[in-house]
Amino acid sequence: MDFEWSEDDLHHRAEFQSFLRDFLPDNWDDLSQGGPGSDLQAEFSRTFCRALADRGWLTQHWPIEYGGQDAPPWRHSIIGEECWAIGEPRGPQYMNVNWIGPAVMRFGTEEQKREHLPPISRGEVLWCQGFSEPEAGSDLVALRTSAIRDGNDYVINGSKIWTSYVNHADFIILLVRTDPSSAKHRGISVLLVPTDTPGIEVREIPSVVGERYFHEVFFTDVRVPTRVRLGPEDEGWSVVTYALQYERVGAARYARAAFTLDRLAELARERGLLDDPLVVDRLAEARTLCEAARMLTYRVIDQRAHDLPPTTDTQIARVANTTADYRVGELAVEILGPDALEYGSFADANFRLAMTAGVAVGSTEVQLNLIAARHLNLPRE
Amino acid sequence: MNFELDDDQREILNAVNALLERHAGHARATALAQKVEYDHRLDTALADAGFDAAIDPLTLDGALETILIIEAVARAAGVTSFPAQALVARAVAGRAVAGPVALGSGDLQSPIRFGAHAHSFLFLVEGEARLARLDVGDAEPIASNFGYPFGRISRQAIARSESVGPQSGERLLNWWRVAVAAEAVGTMSAALDQTVAYLKDRRQFGRAIASFQAVQHRLAECAVRVEGSRLLVYEAAYQHAPEEASACAAAYALESARQLFRETHQLSGAIGFTREHSLHAWSMRLHALGTELSGVSGHRRALAAARWGTR
Repeated sequence: MDFEWSEDDLHHRAEFQSFLRDFLPDNWDDLSQGGPGSDLQAEFSRTFCRALADRGWLTQHWPIEYGGQDAPPWRHSIIGEECWAIGEPRGPQYMNVNWIGPAVMRFGTEEQKREHLPPISRGEVLWCQGFSEPEAGSDLVALRTSAIRDGNDYVINGSKIWTSYVNHADFIILLVRTDPSSAKHRGISVLLVPTDTPGIEVREIPSVVGERYFHEVFFTDVRVPTRVRLGPEDEGWSVVTYALQYERVGAARYARAAFTLDRLAELARERGLLDDPLVVDRLAEARTLCEAARMLTYRVIDQRAHDLPPTTDTQIARVANTTADYRVGELAVEILGPDALEYGSFADANFRLAMTAGVAVGSTEVQLNLIAARHLNLPRE
Repeated sequence: MNFELDDDQREILNAVNALLERHAGHARATALAQKVEYDHRLDTALADAGFDAAIDPLTLDGALETILIIEAVARAAGVTSFPAQALVARAVAGRAVAGPVALGSGDLQSPIRFGAHAHSFLFLVEGEARLARLDVGDAEPIASNFGYPFGRISRQAIARSESVGPQSGERLLNWWRVAVAAEAVGTMSAALDQTVAYLKDRRQFGRAIASFQAVQHRLAECAVRVEGSRLLVYEAAYQHAPEEASACAAAYALESARQLFRETHQLSGAIGFTREHSLHAWSMRLHALGTELSGVSGHRRALAAARWGTR
């Protein structure tokens, strides 16, 4: 074991931080308040990710043949940590580079790789994920959106829900049931669908998280060629499982929480609240949660660096991350008091992003189920 | 960065686990507890195997290797001051200190873990570490329900102490935090394993208790706590106990220890409180460890001071 960054990694981080200082606009704090999917941030991501790509940093962990540099996963995680901490200037594109690209590499045809990987690695394209449905939330395998073969096409009908980023996305990575007679894991396929395909309708679901955060997407006789299918027909569940392993630790929530916590401590100091030992105690407790989540996430990255198969350490890291994120969010409201009530204030903005932590990307309860079954080997009924 | 054990670390762990299988375990801990005794036999076995002397915690890998041994000893419910002797005293004094070693801070007349059996008493007073040699009659045993032998050390013995040197107080605080957190990790993981095994076996309402989701989620949360604690301890040890990382590891691990006590006992039911069931051999210790260095609130205070300059 060795818990030290290499000289290369340290240098890389310093270089990237300096790039961020130069590149981000002065009003970045305001601009980034709405989260990665806000209009401002989605738009900014197009400039920012192109600049990252120009410097070879956007997809450095990818193989050279797909526009990467074969850099160790640690290098990419440094970028992820620095970006997520300050509010993710890559916008929705963090998903592209973390798991959509790798899923295309793993399961895609040569044609799909040629079509999708270069634009992702150049930072020119936005994606969203169409997984959840009104009747398939935590129980994702209950999904019903259908894609029925008609010659060389699929005809898609159904709807997706909670879809972030779809209002800006060029493509949606869509889970559909290609075998309507099937149930559960069998009969699911993954389609890579351009969002401008006729028959797709997007409606915003107003929420207290923020504007244009959640959407519902309706598919009415949407016709796409079968060649947009990623991986084997009816066996898309393995694609999803692969993708989710990446996604669950893709967002460095611990870094965002730790960064927010340091700023909260400064705000508390300005208000004279650091003289209160109870405030100090709560801040320190939150710090321990961020640090535990960081190390648990690093362990997952390390396993990836060693090319080891995914384990429930991913779920363990995920639970720790959401706990830390949530705690810091609620602490900001608690410590800053009535100031938190103003829309767009520091505490408000952070709380809105933090409060979805345990629900997004698979609820905490589903993660705990997996830890119980596979890490502790607890029996089913 | 590399989270995998290297060959040396694996070899050390195998050797120490083989030794602990012969010389430790909850039955032995329980038997010793009834007589308020210390496990000199285990100390001798660890010394004979070279675990106390062969590894210098101040070398690059030494601290982490010592931590692995401490965690294993705690998992096996060893009744030994090995953590204080092999890690804390050695790192603070920069040399081997005669064992058993007891550690003290705050009110030195309060119960001290291993106080009645120690040959050396390393304690913190006014920011300085001091070391006292203890002879027969310098301490008296104190009855306790908290899984270790405790003793009260006489004022005369404390008055005979000598300073360990400049900055020794900070070193003592930091290494002690790492050591106690490592003991908590080993102890928690054994308490959790014990509870999981029992709940898989115990049937109520016609099914294993461990198959109820209400139970499973709580055990899974415990597992997250144990895993996180362990990694924070390893990192702090690897970095040779810097103030912030040590305080953070201790604050998280000892808070986790409180939760582990509560959950393992609640889920184990009445049997968990009995002497015939082994959970107490580990669980009661979690609260004993939680009292050292002002406990969780003390660790958090230290963490905030290191991180944000609070007082």
